[in-house]
Amino acid sequence: MRQPIGSSTGMPCQELVELVTAYLDGALSPADRESCDAHWRTCPGCRTYLAQMQLVVGSLGHLGRRDAGENGAERNHLLDLFRTRGFHHRGPRERSVPLGVADEFASPGDHISYFWESEDEFDATAGFLAAGVERDEVCVLLGHAGANSRLLADLERRGLAPDRLRRGDRLHTVSGQQPADAVLGAIGDRIRTAVDRGAPMVRVLGNLGWGHPGWPAEGDILRLEARVTDAVRNLPSIVMCAYDVRRLSGRSLLLGGVECHPLTLRRGALRRNEHHVPAEQFLETLALDAA
Amino acid sequence: MSSGANASGAGQTATHAELSLIEALRQGNEDAFGRLVDQHHASLRRVARLYLSNRAVAEEVVQDTWLGVIQGMWAFEGRSSLKTWIFRILINHAKTRAVREGRTVPFGGVGADDIGGPEAAVSPERFHPANHPAEPGNWTSPPRDIRTSPEGRLLAREVGEQLQKAIDALPPNQRLVLTLRDVEGCSTEEVCNVLGIQETNGRVLLHRARAKVRAALEPYLEGGG
Repeated sequence: MRQPIGSSTGMPCQELVELVTAYLDGALSPADRESCDAHWRTCPGCRTYLAQMQLVVGSLGHLGRRDAGENGAERNHLLDLFRTRGFHHRGPRERSVPLGVADEFASPGDHISYFWESEDEFDATAGFLAAGVERDEVCVLLGHAGANSRLLADLERRGLAPDRLRRGDRLHTVSGQQPADAVLGAIGDRIRTAVDRGAPMVRVLGNLGWGHPGWPAEGDILRLEARVTDAVRNLPSIVMCAYDVRRLSGRSLLLGGVECHPLTLRRGALRRNEHHVPAEQFLETLALDAA
Repeated sequence: MSSGANASGAGQTATHAELSLIEALRQGNEDAFGRLVDQHHASLRRVARLYLSNRAVAEEVVQDTWLGVIQGMWAFEGRSSLKTWIFRILINHAKTRAVREGRTVPFGGVGADDIGGPEAAVSPERFHPANHPAEPGNWTSPPRDIRTSPEGRLLAREVGEQLQKAIDALPPNQRLVLTLRDVEGCSTEEVCNVLGIQETNGRVLLHRARAKVRAALEPYLEGGG
């Protein structure tokens, strides 16, 4: 930064005019501020310059207040949007977000399970992320290393540079190798941070590491899955959990894949899942099972 | 660094009033939403137009912004002011859309807040040269006293047009900073927060923009005319 200015006579007018904005913003050091005040006391030319600047700034503000008049039709339309698309709305939500898989559309706040059997079906889940990138959303990977690295390679093949997305805060990884509470907290933080930065939505793609080293035990993963639904219901996010039908146990598929997700995606169709069990009830029976 | 408020970059968070407004919105209070629209809609439209000259496209971006507010309010924690947050959503949408339409975007590229080389607020010809024996760097032709001009002269229609013209003639980055700061009334800190630029750089851009607008309006600021 510059040295504090000396006496008013020591500072040429040409330098003072460059300090006016910082002066008006209150961003000068006390010493610089004092020097400016002293200069203005003795220099009518600079006083006029300051007054003109203030007049310009004031007039610009007036420009902003001038056309605050609202378009009634547009205002009503926005109120309608609030009424029908706000999360306080109890009715069924409009499926307006392209899922990127099987030409389906979902709603913000959805928690979906996706059952896959073939490699092609797995690779299709990269479309979920690609659709998010396309819409300027933030993507979060919550998966075991094998699944994540394959997804990143899939993204690369689709011409989406994962490294660039990471650097641009558009792609994140959340570790599942921690207790369910911590995972849930980390996902929530990711979503809230992205929204705070102005992102329109967050997509979370889960490939939970059932039985993988470092991952929680089955019961803990089930507790996580049961609670995700309520945790994201009112957040601008879509969580999709991929279930490997060939490798996972029947119990993981049934309790985790079916009972913990209000929506399932199978054979190219997104369907409301009548077998979904509300978290409270699910956790209760899970506790009884364990006992 | 300067002694300016928030020079630490900690940023200003949502006020109590804003947090209770958010709570009302979460409960579905339509009047509260209507008031929020009245407060910001015109601003959002103006700023969107700085990215997108097509009016219809800009309107779409503003609508998407409101949808983002409607659906993001449960995730909004008040880490920034409500206004900053709404503008940030707008600018994200507007940027994406402008890039898609193949337009150059203010603060778009890498090193986007590069402020470029030095720029004088006032033409150097209006000062004595640095080697002047008596008054180096002082005015040779100072601006004329505006006290002789009638009160509110600047608000006259003709001058309003000149003001708009002067804004339109600014380089895009400067125009955006000036519009957010002076037309929409954000603080410099809010502006930089919204645009993701350094506060010192933001202030330099603001300074240059204001200086250009003042220079363009100078004939109207002077008494004679």
